[in-house]
Formats: sequence, C-alpha cells, structure tokens
Amino acid sequence: MVSHRDNNTQRIAALDERAEALKLKRGMGIADARAMHPTIDVVEADAEADRRLLEGLADWCDRYTPLVAIDGEDGLFLDVTGCTHLFGGERAMQDEILTRFFQQGFDVRAGLASTPGAAWAAARFHGDRIVAGGEEEALLAPLPLSALRIAPQTRASLESVGLRTAGAVMAAPRAPLARRFGATLLLRLDQALGRLDEAVSPRLPVAPLSVERHLAEPVVLTDDIERLVSRLAIALKTDLERRGEGARTLALLLFRVDGAVNRIAVGTSRPMREPRLIQRLFHERLTALEQSIDAGFGFDLVRLSVLSVAAFDLAQGDLTGDTDDDDADIALFADRVRARLGEAAVLKPVVVESHLPERAVKTVPFAEAPQRRAPAAGRAALPRTTPPMTIYPPERPVRLFRSPEPIEVPATEIPEGPPMNFRWRRALYRVARAEGPERIAAEWWRQLPGEEEAPTRDYYRIEDSEGRRYWLYRQGLYSSAAQAAPPRWFMHGVFA
Amino acid sequence: MAMSAVARDTVFALRRQIAKIEGTLPERLQAPMAGAPGAIPGEARSGLPSGIAEKLNRPGDATGPDMTRDRTIVRRGLAVASADAFLRTGIGRLAVASADAFLRTGIGRLDTALGGGLPKAALSEIHGLETRDAGAVAGFALSLVSLVLREKQGLPILWVGTAEIFHEAGFPYARGLHALFGIEPGQLLFSEAPKLLDALWIAEEAARMTAFAAVILEIRGSPRRLDLTATRRLHARAQNAGRPLLLLRQAGEADPTAAPVRLIVSAAPAASRETVAGPLAGSIGRPAFKVDIGKSRTALPGQFTLEWNPNEHAFAERAENSVAVVPASGRGADPAPASGAVLAFPSVASFAAGGQPSRQQHPAHRGPRRAG
Repeated sequence: MVSHRDNNTQRIAALDERAEALKLKRGMGIADARAMHPTIDVVEADAEADRRLLEGLADWCDRYTPLVAIDGEDGLFLDVTGCTHLFGGERAMQDEILTRFFQQGFDVRAGLASTPGAAWAAARFHGDRIVAGGEEEALLAPLPLSALRIAPQTRASLESVGLRTAGAVMAAPRAPLARRFGATLLLRLDQALGRLDEAVSPRLPVAPLSVERHLAEPVVLTDDIERLVSRLAIALKTDLERRGEGARTLALLLFRVDGAVNRIAVGTSRPMREPRLIQRLFHERLTALEQSIDAGFGFDLVRLSVLSVAAFDLAQGDLTGDTDDDDADIALFADRVRARLGEAAVLKPVVVESHLPERAVKTVPFAEAPQRRAPAAGRAALPRTTPPMTIYPPERPVRLFRSPEPIEVPATEIPEGPPMNFRWRRALYRVARAEGPERIAAEWWRQLPGEEEAPTRDYYRIEDSEGRRYWLYRQGLYSSAAQAAPPRWFMHGVFA
Repeated sequence: MAMSAVARDTVFALRRQIAKIEGTLPERLQAPMAGAPGAIPGEARSGLPSGIAEKLNRPGDATGPDMTRDRTIVRRGLAVASADAFLRTGIGRLAVASADAFLRTGIGRLDTALGGGLPKAALSEIHGLETRDAGAVAGFALSLVSLVLREKQGLPILWVGTAEIFHEAGFPYARGLHALFGIEPGQLLFSEAPKLLDALWIAEEAARMTAFAAVILEIRGSPRRLDLTATRRLHARAQNAGRPLLLLRQAGEADPTAAPVRLIVSAAPAASRETVAGPLAGSIGRPAFKVDIGKSRTALPGQFTLEWNPNEHAFAERAENSVAVVPASGRGADPAPASGAVLAFPSVASFAAGGQPSRQQHPAHRGPRRAG
C-alpha cells in the first residue's frame, strides 16, 4: 500500500489486490485503514520515482513505435499507425506488449483504437480490447463520464443534471452543453469519436530516418555492437542517398532484454553518410562510454536513427583519385575527438572586434565555428581576417590567462608607472625593463544603465631580470582620496 | 670488379629512391679501407673505440678487397643513426643529401649542429625548465611552425594540451600569434584534453593526418605515461605522415625519448627597439630565445641566442650573447674535422669548451646516442 499526503492527512494513493480484498479503498485515510487492519504495510509515495519509471517504460516502448507520449501519471500513448504489420497485426502486437510488460513484472492494461480518446477509455474500462474504426460510439456509450477525460468538476455538474453515462451526453443537444459546460467537454467527445483529430505529442522528436535490427540472440560485446552499427549504417546510406542528405546527428539506441534503453548520440560537423565514418564515430563514443554502458543480459534490439539531416553536397573527385580533402579529414578528426571527449574538446578561435583582450578572441567549439574557406587551388594567400588598423599594432601576448591573476606590487617608481618588482604565484620578479602604459578602458556601450563604470586598465609590457616578458595591468588609478583603496595589479599574459 | 661496381651503384640509386618515397634517409656508411676514397682520416680512426675499429678492419684484412661491397651498410631512418656514424660520414654531405627532410632554421650554426636542421617528419621535443618559461617555449615552437608554414601555406595547426597546462601557463592567444608569427586565427585549432592520456590520444590521432601543417602537444611536468613507448608511438606516426610533431614539455625532466631532437628553450633578454635614430633605450624589442641542444643526431652541443623577426618570419642569431661552444671550423660550415678527436661516443672531455651546460642539465649526453 502506498500513501501520499493530501490536505494534511495521509491517504491511500495506491494499493494492491490483497489490500483491496480487505475492503480498503483509494483516498481512505491511513489512520482509518490502520484502525481496520493494523498489519498493513504502508510506503510513502515517491512521485519523482514513479515518473522516472514511466519514462523508462516510455523509452522501452520506443521499440514498437517512435511516437510514444506520456499520459498523466500512469499512462502511455503509443501511436502505432503503420507499425502493427511489423509485429504481425494489431492483436499480435498488443499481446506481445502485454506479455513483455507482464514478464517485466508490470500489471498493464491496453486498449487499441483509431482515436486516442477511445483507446484511453478502452484501456481503462475494458482492458485488452481492440476497437475497430467506427465502433467508438458503441464502446463509449455505456461507459461512465470519467471515460471522457474531463475535469472532475465538469463531471460532477453533469451528473447533477442526470447525465451519468457518455451515451447520455452524446444524445443530449450540443449547443446547451457547450454553453453550460464549456467547449472542452464537446472537444473531448469529438476527439474520442474521431470527428476531430487529436495529436499525441511524442516525448522525443521523431527521427527522420531510422534502421533497426531485432536480434534473436542478445549481444553483449562492444565489438558486436560496432559491427551491427556498420551494418545499419550501410542500410541507412541508401536512404540518405535517395533523399540527397547526410546525417548531422545520429543516435544509437540499445534496447536491453530487461527493458532498459541506452541512447548514445553523436554529432558531426558536416553531413555524413559514409558507413565507415559513422562506425568510427560510434567506436570513439562507445570506447568513451564503455564503463557506463551496462550490457546486462545483452541487447536484443539495436536501432540507428538519424536525428537531424542536412543537404549533402557531392564533391567531384579528380581522375587520379587522390584528392585530399583536408577539411573533411579535419572535420572527421574533430568529430571523433568530440565523440570521445565531449563538445568542448576541439576549439576554434574566432576574432571579435573588441578592445578588451579577453573578449577580442572567443574560442568556440569546432562544430559551431564558421567554416574556414578552403584555400584556392592556386594556394593563394589567405585574405587577412582583420585589416591593419594602425601602422604599429599594439603588441599582444602569445598566451593569455583565462582569468587575470592578481599579483602583489609593493611599490612603483612613480604612482602611475610600472612596478619595480612584483610577486606572482609566490615568487618575486624584478622588473628590468617596462613598456607602457597602454590604457584600455571598459566598453561603456556594453554596460547596463545605472551600472558603475568598470575601472580602466593600464597595461605594461614587462621584462624581468631573467629575460621573460609578461603583460601586467593596473586596474584603476591611484586616487588622492584617503579612503580610496589602492589600485590592484594583475598578470594577464605572457609574451614570447 | 667493374661490373660489381656498376651493380652496386644501381642498387644504391634504387635504395635512395625507395628511401625518398618512404621519406626516410639512406645513410651509406663506408667501411674504412686503405686507399679507398672517403676513408676515415687517421686521427678519426684513432679515436674509435678499439672494439669497433677491429670489427671493421678484420674482415677486410682476411678476405681481401672482394668483401668491400658486403661491408657497405645502408642505414635508414633518422632515429637509429648514432652519433659516430654521422661524424664519420661528414655532416656536410648529409645536409646536402637530405635537404628536403629537414626544416632549416636559417641559422647556419644551429642547422649544422642539428645535422641539417630540425627533422620535418619527426617528433621534436622542446623543453622549458620552468612553467614560467611557457611563453618562450611556445614562442619558439610557433616560430618553427611559422617556418613550416612557409611551404605549407594555409594548412591548419593543431595545438593539443591538457587542461592543467592551459590553466597554469595560459591559453594561446590568437591575436598575439597572428601578429608575431603570421598564423591566421582561422588556421588554428585547439584541443583541450581533461587528462594526459586523452591528450596523447588526440595527438596520436592528429599526428597520423596529413591535413595539419604541424601538431603541437603540450604537457606539463614529467608524467609517467609519457615514456619511451608513448614518444615512440608519436614519433612513428609523425614519420609516417611526414609532418612535424612538436612536443612542448613545460617544467619537465629530460626523460628518455624517441624524439631525435630535444631543445631546451628559455627566454633571453630582448634587444632594444630599432629606430631611425638608433636603438631606443629601455624598450623591449623582438622576442629572443636561448636555445640549448639537449639531444640531437649529431650529438654536437650548442647554445644559441636567437631572435625572431616577426616581419620577415625568420630567425636571426644574436652575436654578442652567443658563446662559441662548437669550435669554429677553419673550413666553413663543417665543424667536424676541427672538433678534435672523433669518438664513437662523445666523452665528457670533448665538451670542455666554455659555457657548456652542466651534465645535470643534460642527462641525455651521458649515454650513447641511440634511439631514445
């Protein structure tokens, strides 16, 4: 028996057959139930765990149809249109689903109908019934009003005027019903009867293409899975070719025998359809995930889906056959690294127009970076990304710290001048020569109205007594006001 | 005899061609023979350890001149060549034979000491003694990359590093690289690996590709995983792809390595800026590096102060700071005959020149110069 807290009272949320046999009911107070039967076993309800379980079941149902939606707290909608013949017809399919759930230890009721509303009612009020098209009215007519999926208040007020079954509501004139009970009632009714279309919104986006393989003998080894992936990718290739597209995101779904589903996705930086390359990407991903995938008793269904596609441009090879498409090589390399180590493993710098050094270069993941234009056939010099703005561009370091590191500056020769020595990472550096300052002010056009203006930075190029060159800056200015804090110094970069 | 000489020449021509296709270098070693052209000078032979000299001489004495062709050794590969072999063949000839296998730094003395330049299709180690030298080490590596890019214009460069080094030494700054080394931001790719093993994997995968002009792998400290096997794998891939792989070791020990060349780089005080009115006092001019040869195929030691010219993308050697470690040769670029007694393995005594780095700094000098 499971209890939940409702209105400051512990009430029965769910109970099993043996508890039902003791004449206990849902909604009854736990105190009353204990008074009747002191030996009952009560467990606190865990809505979160229930939802997770339902999602797990929804994932597993993905093997029957890609369109699986969660319905409330305890239901699943499976849109099996066009899928039943794969399992030998409607009856066979429903039997298989029920058997499989039973074997996993669930008590499940199923209904199959041509509208979601009718199927919902059939599952809840008949159990294991298949409603043929056109029979919805006959199915619904004798059922109570709760079979119409309406709010409890509407149901209560309908019952108060004597409409106690769905059939009675159907027979009543529509206009007064709509006026008195709102449009939802008639909408639900029409949807259940198939007069209006009802869309089941699937939990996961439906893949444009997927190929799958049911296995008589479950596979356990990663090598076997990889081999299956390459077979599936070969099947996928013809479909992609027919559509003139290549895959940008691929997902591999591994359905375990006992119901768990593993979903492994890889992204590609450019459209891909070559089975060998797809297999290599999944090889990296599976290697990286080796520890976290638990094969258990094996996977009995392996599906490869293309989640997103893009137009695939065919490139003309030359007659010698050794066109080295360097960009494609690099894209594949980046994809493989990404598949193994995550999205941020390959970075590309992008130059941004900004004065602030840390903003002037942005590193973005390879897949999001603008594609570099391939050099022309004549190996012409690349166009400069930024035109020279001044004759003497300011010197910039070769390495920049991601966050400037504070340094201690005991003294400067003149207040606004470079430091004489400084302490960085607990080591003392003596300044031999200094160039500067280069004053870089904060970007006022990026600052929010009312926000205090960020202090300016005075950058110095410093060479220490051993010849190493650094880029330091002083944040703010020395102020004559006694209470003003002295400006702070930071190490921002290292020169070659 | 004439027939056999012709046949031998044909064989050598073919071998050279094969080596050229493979991208390796055939090293023809002539056994010492009285009267034969190219025989070792007397003082060189006297410097050989007696075991080697005997082994080379005995068959010739026993069976006569017919054995000459059997005693010609063909060596392939750069890593396996030992120091004495290079000294005996003469570095000048080697440099001519393999001009396109080496990246010439443009500094004659450095190129000579490296036996023709930095091998292009190989792993090269560049060490910085402390993490704070990371700027200089990176700068020197990038200037080498900039030299590589002269021939392979427009090809991208991959920089692989662990998250640790990018945090400790700073992330490469694309604007600075563009200004100093002419590397376009669009040409750069960075890869930040969470762990050392991942960084090694990325570098291995990248080293086998020909799409990159160069791959830089940056590692901090002396991890146990970065051993002889790991460097050998990297070296083999770089050799096959024919692309340079630069291993930057920040604050690392001089561990055994398969890389044929190890350079130790630190920062040198920059010269003043040049103006029309002469050098500008107190200004910081072009980047300067102090380069020590820690390991090379010739085993010639050397210390160089190089200055990078960001306008011409070329090195220049600074004369006033340089310490002449390799004795100047009287005959131009070939220092070998002038370096005294030629030994199979350079002994400590032959490095007695001034300014020589101590042995603690260069453990690689202790052992014989084999691969790694």
